[in-house]
Amino acid sequence: MRTALRGELLKIATVRGQWIGLALAAVAMPMTSLLVAASGGLSPEDTVTSGAATGSLAGLLGFGAWAASVTAGEYSHQTMVVSLSTVPRRTVFYGAKVIAASLTAAAASLASAVLAFAVVYAVTPHSSHRVGSPATLLSVVVAAVAVTAIGVAAGVLTRSSAAAITAVVVLILLPQTAAGLLGGLQPWVVGASPGPVITQVVGNSQLDADQTYPPGTAAAVATLLAAAAGIAVVGGCALVRRDGG
Amino acid sequence: MPSLPSPSAPVSVPTPAAIEVADATKVIDGVTVLDRVSFTARPGRVTAFLGPNGAGKSTTLRAILGIDHLTSGTATIGGRRFHEHHRPAAVIGALLTPDAIHPRRTARGHLSVVAASNGLPRASVAKTIELVGITEIADLEAGQMSLGMRQRLSLATALIGEPAAVILDEPHNGLDAAAIRWLRVVLRQLADSGRTVLLSSHLMPEIELVADDVVVIDRGSIQADATLPEFLSGPDVSLEDRYLDLVGEA
Repeated sequence: MRTALRGELLKIATVRGQWIGLALAAVAMPMTSLLVAASGGLSPEDTVTSGAATGSLAGLLGFGAWAASVTAGEYSHQTMVVSLSTVPRRTVFYGAKVIAASLTAAAASLASAVLAFAVVYAVTPHSSHRVGSPATLLSVVVAAVAVTAIGVAAGVLTRSSAAAITAVVVLILLPQTAAGLLGGLQPWVVGASPGPVITQVVGNSQLDADQTYPPGTAAAVATLLAAAAGIAVVGGCALVRRDGG
Repeated sequence: MPSLPSPSAPVSVPTPAAIEVADATKVIDGVTVLDRVSFTARPGRVTAFLGPNGAGKSTTLRAILGIDHLTSGTATIGGRRFHEHHRPAAVIGALLTPDAIHPRRTARGHLSVVAASNGLPRASVAKTIELVGITEIADLEAGQMSLGMRQRLSLATALIGEPAAVILDEPHNGLDAAAIRWLRVVLRQLADSGRTVLLSSHLMPEIELVADDVVVIDRGSIQADATLPEFLSGPDVSLEDRYLDLVGEA
């Protein structure tokens, strides 16, 4: 697994476009947070960290789309043939790919969150906003890892960059968009989706009660990770079961 | 055009590993594309795997590598299925298509990924780049390379682990005359060093120069499996004539 992981990390490192995609995803959050903070969009009860997290949804969409595109690219560029003839054990190959993408996204999202914090801290009056909890920024990293794993699975399941990116965007945005159709399930589904999970960690009052995960914030984070892991396992099973190239 | 070095196949002597396909059958959407295909490619020999387009050659080669699943039957290398080997690159190297390289990755980057994935030393990258004569374009992106250069890079991918067996599907595509002659010598050196060489090609005159054994497949079934002299069945018969007689394309 270690050698396969090294190979997957090198795959990301040796294609400039993949780095650019990752950089764009990492920049999305601080840029959005800057726009909100600089335009006076933060309420008095917002902290610097919650202000930094206001752009997290844009970042999550970026990381999910990046992972989906990188993985589906193995099919569109036919490199899956070489990948599977180099690492023939599909569970090892897929596990290495999920871990490599997640580690990369974790590092990039951490840098993104810290940059967003610095940007908001720099543009807001220090006396008007408390610094807030660093857990907020860590929740961004956790959510980024979750959507990255989902993106890798979507890439394997669809074998198409466009379809995989669309699937990721729908999975991230649909729960809140279609909240009204969920009835009693609304807090359980919406509350564990990436955006609301971060909002719950922030702990501000922007989220309605019916979009808050009933068992609490920690359970919401755990459920998001479990759901992402479940989707990743489905992707792995699909790769093992069907022809690879 | 980068010049080719003197042919020099990997020097290490591998553990012999025959490629054995036994009763391989594959059915796709009700259509039988492989029908109880059986043959063996032996160590120390170049086995030509011939057949018209759509005969099932590539499907068989992909099945040996575990990229396509068989409906029934087995395909093994050294007595084990490919994914059961712990160091795959040392067991088998494959060239299935020159297009299986990311167009934005350099030759050096591509080979570095393959080497890292198999725990091969970094030196193997430079060594293999030199072996296939692409040193001058090693830092060029694959998308900027000619078909012949990508073919050489794909050959480097197959050889980087100094494998006991190599599978080459249409390796002559895009190669110029000098590179074809160079490849002929390399294939001979690979076989002479004890390696198993399974080669698919439509270039009959070239196959006749390099092959020891011939396996012919048509419409998913094996039509012939013999040594080259046995297959030709006479001193004045060309491989092309004999092959076309067999598959009915004369």
